[in-house]
Amino acid sequence: MQTKTLADPLSRHGIRKVRTICGYCGVGCAVDVLARDNRIVAIHPAWDGPANQGALCIKGQFAYDYVHHPDRLTHPLVRGRDGRFHRVSWDEALDAAAEGFLRVQAKYGRHAIYGVASGRTPSEANYLMQKFIRVAFGTNHIDNCSRA
Amino acid sequence: MSNPLADMEKPDVIFCIGTNMTEAHPVAATRLKKALARGARLIVADPRRIRLAEMAHLYLPIRVGSDTALLLAMAHVIVREELYDLEFMEARTEGWEAFLEYVQPFTPEWAAGITQVPAADIERAAIWYGSADRAAIYYTLGITEHICGVENVQSLANLALLTGNVGREGTGINPMRGQNNIQGAGDAGALPNNYPGFQPVTDPANQAKFEQLYGRKIDLEKGPTKVQALEMAGDTIFAMLIDGENTVVSDPHQEHTVRALKSLEHLVVIDIFLTETAELAHVVLPAAAWAEVDGHFTNTERRIQRIRKVVDPPGQARPDWWIISQLAQRMGLEGFDYDSPVPVFNELCRVSPIYQGIDWELADSGRYQWPIPYRGHPGTPRLHEGGFINGRGKFTFTHYRDPAEVVDDQYPVWLTTGRRLETYHTRTQTGRSLGMDYLVAEEFLEVHPEDLAAWGLEDGDWARVSSRRGSLLIRVKATRRSPRGTVFASFAFSDRPINVLTGSGYDPITHTAELKVCAVRVEAVAPEEVGPIQETLALA
Ligand code: SF4
Repeated sequence: MQTKTLADPLSRHGIRKVRTICGYCGVGCAVDVLARDNRIVAIHPAWDGPANQGALCIKGQFAYDYVHHPDRLTHPLVRGRDGRFHRVSWDEALDAAAEGFLRVQAKYGRHAIYGVASGRTPSEANYLMQKFIRVAFGTNHIDNCSRA
Repeated sequence: MSNPLADMEKPDVIFCIGTNMTEAHPVAATRLKKALARGARLIVADPRRIRLAEMAHLYLPIRVGSDTALLLAMAHVIVREELYDLEFMEARTEGWEAFLEYVQPFTPEWAAGITQVPAADIERAAIWYGSADRAAIYYTLGITEHICGVENVQSLANLALLTGNVGREGTGINPMRGQNNIQGAGDAGALPNNYPGFQPVTDPANQAKFEQLYGRKIDLEKGPTKVQALEMAGDTIFAMLIDGENTVVSDPHQEHTVRALKSLEHLVVIDIFLTETAELAHVVLPAAAWAEVDGHFTNTERRIQRIRKVVDPPGQARPDWWIISQLAQRMGLEGFDYDSPVPVFNELCRVSPIYQGIDWELADSGRYQWPIPYRGHPGTPRLHEGGFINGRGKFTFTHYRDPAEVVDDQYPVWLTTGRRLETYHTRTQTGRSLGMDYLVAEEFLEVHPEDLAAWGLEDGDWARVSSRRGSLLIRVKATRRSPRGTVFASFAFSDRPINVLTGSGYDPITHTAELKVCAVRVEAVAPEEVGPIQETLALA
């Protein structure tokens, strides 16, 4: 038991280490994210990362504070009749989102709706964005942000 | 990229054009440095004397937007000096005889007049590239963000086909993809012309396949691109769903973008911050960020890599896959009852020939580069090794065209835009990371010191920059990185929205915006005009 603790000084301090991929550029450096109490405390380069072999640039290594920034959106928002955003439940927000698309479709037809996916989000999000547009409206009104 | 990142260490000659690799893809640049340490020669073509240019054995300071002229002249020299690979062209390409004829008129002297690079240097670049055993091309948005982006890429392909620099170690045509998962977004089918796995929507066989998979017949016509869609907003398009993109700041011609989004009757934005784009929405859905979700990114070398959840998202924020699935279910759609990202990814693999050989579990190793056409296939680090997917390599007869906007008496200065090492895209993330903000706390315009003097400005002064579309106040910075007559700024800061100036034109095929060139005027401003601006900055 004691050897295990010695070999794992991170967990002795309550720090978890999770292997993931840097979220900034297309090089795709592998990183080990160190976290304690649901907060990221450091990022280490992964020496066996296939794209980076232990190298990282300053963005990959240090630019993670944004994850815990107080500006993060924490509630769905819906614009009210007063023109302002109001915090609402997921139920209300999803209903408002869905209802708006159905309303526009009823009024202008299925080609009146367009989806913009992101080069930042995981492939799973992109796959579902295109599936949503194609299944909901039967159109190819979908693109990602690679053109600008 | 046609070749793996590991190949960056192996060429004899490296030709970098329109890529600010040391700033935009720093870790890739370290691999390139290894090749240089091994004795490889580096040619850099870029309008600005960037760090990479300082490292080059041969630097070609081309005028912005003149790439095609340079590349045609390089092909001319390779043909004239008989440095082409006849065996390769005969075995793997078609139309090469006509191409050898075609490049006859494009002499280095002709190109020198357009590119402002001495003919002798163009010649030397061509001879180095043409005589290397292994020559590799690397490029980024400096090639594609032009009205002639497609022709620029085709011109690069011509050079590689001419010299047989494809499908081998240390060669290839290698675009460095900018955003972390821009490759994956295309792979997954978030494109108006392709289903997942780059299966064209215009092919009736694909239409039938997806009708069967999705239970709905989808148009056989391509959809409009995002650029076109923004133009159609308020006219034929009245609702948008935007996931994780700050369109207002990243797109050219900001006023037009804002007007387009405001004309929508329904705008739903999924994001992690209340961005300038989200502020225009009717419904804003809070997403989980990087390090808060499980999934995959595909990097620039087509490597599919697992990303893992480290921490919980704040408050009610949820992963994008959950949000989109829920939205679809509210609209009464079938086939969206996912309980995790695992079945989503497995479905993507099942429907995409290039991902067919893997699934969530296999992808865990990070070992696979697509195409992985069947189970047990090892993946494809290097494309075109035995042959081209579409048969023979085709030469394209490219033409030089002036940029959509050229300098004139009213707007006599070239503006080119780009990225800086310390900021990322529209800075919604790096602007909120303490150390980063300290490094680059505001945007500035890079100007050659002699231009500054000629315009009556000094380093650090405020200036007004105007184009045909808009104008803004910005501080100037003297630097010899900018050639005379060309100024540079990044589009990272929303308080200095450089994209109010850009947006003069688009590539007619890809609709990529010509963000790299526009004509501007730079003027000194009176202190009274600057006063209130500085106050806003101080408050921010
Ligand atoms: S660490 Fe730097 S080079 Fe590596 S993926 Fe992240 S941003 Fe790109």
